[in-house]
Amino acid sequence: MDTKWKNRKKIISFTAFFVGASLTLLSVVELLQKWPGGNPVDYLKQAQQDDYQLSRRFRSYIGDRLATFLAMSTNSFADEYYGDYYYDNYYSYGYMDSQEALPPQLWEERLLAVQEEGAVSAVEGWDTGWENYLNRAWEYDMEDWENYSSPDRPLTEEQKEELIQKYEEWKKDVAQKYHESIKADQNLLYAILHDGELLYSNSDLLKTDGSMETPEGYNFFLRYENGQVRISKDGAELDVYGDGFYRADSQWYVPGYRNFQADEEMMKSVVCIAVAEEPILYSEISYGQSGYRQLDNALYWMWNNSRERQMGLRRDLCCLAAGMALLFLSLLNRKSLREAIRSLAGLQGKIWLELRVLFFFALILFLLVSYVRSDYGYGLWQELIWQYECGAEYGYLTEQLLSDLPACLWLTVFWGAWLAVNDFRYNKKPWKNSLARKLYAAFTAKELRLPLARKAAHRSTAAFALAGVYVLLMLSEALLLGHQRGLGARWSFTVLVLLETGGFFLAEYLLCLKNMETARDMEALSRRVEDIRNGNFDTKDCTVPHREDGTPSLAGHDLEQIMAQLEDIRCGMARAVDDQMKSERMKVELIANVSHDIKTPLTSIISYVQFLKEEEGLPEHVRDYVKILDEKSQRLKNMVQDVFAVSKAASGELPMHMEELDFGKLLRQTLADMGEQIEHSPVTFRTEIPDIPVMILADGQRMYRVFQNLFQNALQYSLAGSRVYVTLRRDGNLAVASVKNASQSELAEDMNFAERFTRGDQSRTDGGSGLGLSIAQSFTEACGGKFGLETNADLFVVTISFVTLEI
Amino acid sequence: MCDCVLVVDDDREIVKAIGILLEGEGYQVLKAYDGLQALDILASRPVRLVLIDVMMPRLDGLSAVMRIREKLNIPIIVLSAKSEDTDKVLGLSMGADDYVAKPYNPNELAARVKSQLRRYTLLGDIHAGNNVDEIKNGRLLYRTEEKTLYADGEPVKLTATETKIVDLLMHNLGRVFPAEEIYRRVWEEDAYASENTVMVHIRRIREKLELNPKEPEYLKVVWGIGYKMEKQEKNH
Repeated sequence: MDTKWKNRKKIISFTAFFVGASLTLLSVVELLQKWPGGNPVDYLKQAQQDDYQLSRRFRSYIGDRLATFLAMSTNSFADEYYGDYYYDNYYSYGYMDSQEALPPQLWEERLLAVQEEGAVSAVEGWDTGWENYLNRAWEYDMEDWENYSSPDRPLTEEQKEELIQKYEEWKKDVAQKYHESIKADQNLLYAILHDGELLYSNSDLLKTDGSMETPEGYNFFLRYENGQVRISKDGAELDVYGDGFYRADSQWYVPGYRNFQADEEMMKSVVCIAVAEEPILYSEISYGQSGYRQLDNALYWMWNNSRERQMGLRRDLCCLAAGMALLFLSLLNRKSLREAIRSLAGLQGKIWLELRVLFFFALILFLLVSYVRSDYGYGLWQELIWQYECGAEYGYLTEQLLSDLPACLWLTVFWGAWLAVNDFRYNKKPWKNSLARKLYAAFTAKELRLPLARKAAHRSTAAFALAGVYVLLMLSEALLLGHQRGLGARWSFTVLVLLETGGFFLAEYLLCLKNMETARDMEALSRRVEDIRNGNFDTKDCTVPHREDGTPSLAGHDLEQIMAQLEDIRCGMARAVDDQMKSERMKVELIANVSHDIKTPLTSIISYVQFLKEEEGLPEHVRDYVKILDEKSQRLKNMVQDVFAVSKAASGELPMHMEELDFGKLLRQTLADMGEQIEHSPVTFRTEIPDIPVMILADGQRMYRVFQNLFQNALQYSLAGSRVYVTLRRDGNLAVASVKNASQSELAEDMNFAERFTRGDQSRTDGGSGLGLSIAQSFTEACGGKFGLETNADLFVVTISFVTLEI
Repeated sequence: MCDCVLVVDDDREIVKAIGILLEGEGYQVLKAYDGLQALDILASRPVRLVLIDVMMPRLDGLSAVMRIREKLNIPIIVLSAKSEDTDKVLGLSMGADDYVAKPYNPNELAARVKSQLRRYTLLGDIHAGNNVDEIKNGRLLYRTEEKTLYADGEPVKLTATETKIVDLLMHNLGRVFPAEEIYRRVWEEDAYASENTVMVHIRRIREKLELNPKEPEYLKVVWGIGYKMEKQEKNH
């Protein structure tokens, strides 16, 4: 419960942190990008201001409009008038395309003005448009143009007269056209009067009688009369002129200031303008030309933009507030936040570095491309190309770029950087878990010292790298091939791919061939090792193995050296075993010879002792001597035989006749065989031998000797009146026979009774050879059994265990 | 009839001891101290049996046996300090009839000499007619109708139970009988703690027919399995 809550808290605080930081960043970027410069407080104030009519732009628009209308009313030409006409229609698509050529005299005048006055201002700001227009004029109206203007043919008075006449008409015509073009936009109602005559008006609703009343839906009213302007907004009249002088910071650029008076003609004009409170979009459809034509609609866009800007600003500010709040919230839980960040770092650490970096850049690339591909970023794309082509002198572009990039891109960059910093902060070495490092670790041969191992490692690396290069080549070629059209290119690509594939397979083939060679050598090597383990030393050829044709089979192979070393080992072992065998054989031979040499005189001794024994009439004491001689010679005889047997068994020379036999029966038979002896002894035998057969694999004759010796031993050394326990038990897959007896003499604790010639009593006065247990042990082991001996106080326990044969 | 025995050994004391032993049994003993000497004596004297040592100067025992076998069919007992099975097999395959390891048991040696001589002299002609109701095995002969066992031609005195056991084993030479089976077939009762009973009888029979009951040649224990009558390779 507790940890659950802890985890939940971690998740919550981190989510708050993430969302908060994202929101804050997003809104800050948005705000900064939209910031036009200047006072940030004013900028932020816009969020509250919801009346577009209060904006500077609106005021200048109304001023321009008034100037245009005044020009229309007096039929005078004004830059502003023309400019408006020109611009308005330029931006309302389609007008230009209709190619309504301007009368040539206009151009002339323009040109004259430019030439004579150097009125740069006339073309300033729209130079490209002007030049364009000029070019078009040249193109379409060459003939007309040539009629009037030519450097070597100045105009005559008549012609000038005619020109002016035409110009006046044209101006009227343009004014009329302009009126036609804008009248449908009911966001701005106007009425233009001159000398009490209504020249142009686009609405009946507008009253020209001097009242400041506005029609419904319109809250702004401007009336120009007698060179003065009155403006009412929302029913209240505004102070237009202030102290009466026009200055740079005056709000309204309209005639009527003391330093900005209307001329005589204008004094006769009356202009009424009403502006809608909430403008709407007007458009007009014109068939046969270029489809839809949006009307001026400047007011609508002004209102709309203002509203959108305001909304955007509000949204951004809300986001900022929410983001800050969330950030604050997450910082309140700093501890769990830190833990969350730490576990995030842990997660990061588990991802390969390459993937981390790749993911980051892929995300940025995706965003950039999707941005650039979108209409929104189309300009940027062009700018980028332009910058690329023209060089970097267009420095402003960088700023442009930065301010135009979508905020989510900044967000991505921020989080990428944050993650990187986080990674470095908590993961000591973030590059540790990287694919490159993993690959390096997997394929490094740094720790390998053996030339063979190094070679194999290098080969593996080469194979892997080769495959990687091949795959990369194939991929890139597949990509490239997709862009190739020509047959020749396709052919050469195909040939290239075939060549590469061939090369790749050849290289892989060579590498794998080498590996196969090593594999075969390994087989030979392991066989050889197995041979040696099995004791098959093949002592005859002590050199590196040769092929049938006599060449060394491993010359130049990786395993040559190891094989040679193994050969050395093999030869050494073969020699050692040989030596050992030789010495064992010599030992056995020695013992055989010695026992033979002993037996010959012993034969005589035994024979003559026999005669002595049969001799009648010997004195009693001589009889005693003879008896002792007889006993000792018999013992010597047994001893010689036993020594021989033990040495043979120990050297493995003893011929074995292994057969399946019943362990229990063997014990019973042996006991029965010695029955007489046992009956005459002062000890009793207690047996516990199962009736069911316990089958083992052993040499019956030898095992008989073993138990005969053991029982003999028990009979000889047991305390008189005590019991000898003979048991046979199954212990798992083992058959364990044990002979327990209580010794009559004290048993030395650290004595190895199975050692040759060891006896319980050191005096050696009885008939045993001292080899009984030794023989028992040797024979048991020669039969594949286990001989165990244990003494506990006076208890003497011998266990003999064999693996049972499952029937 | 003179049972003339030739004793060959390079150890004079042993020759002398055997001489005393065999003369005590009533044999005439000839002595030789190497192989060549033995061959000389054999060429000049009628010898009925040869006791010969293996390791001797001038001509070793086994070579001498081969030379003897070229001319004579008399029993040869090899007497050697080499007690290995391989030595015994070698000796017997060279043409010897018996192999006694040194140091020998005087009584056993005397018994073997007697056995060999008896078979050579007495049974030589009996072997000619091969009766169906006779089972021969080495020096043993069992007449199934009389239910009598002969060792070296002389009847062995057996009790009724012992005869039954011998009858069973002689009819199945070489086959191993577990004690239980012997008990069931001889006593015709269910076997219980049969091992001891059977073993006691086997031991008694051995004492009657084996030359050295401690190292039986005929009635053998197959340890861990049962008992059998060993089938002898040599049927004289």
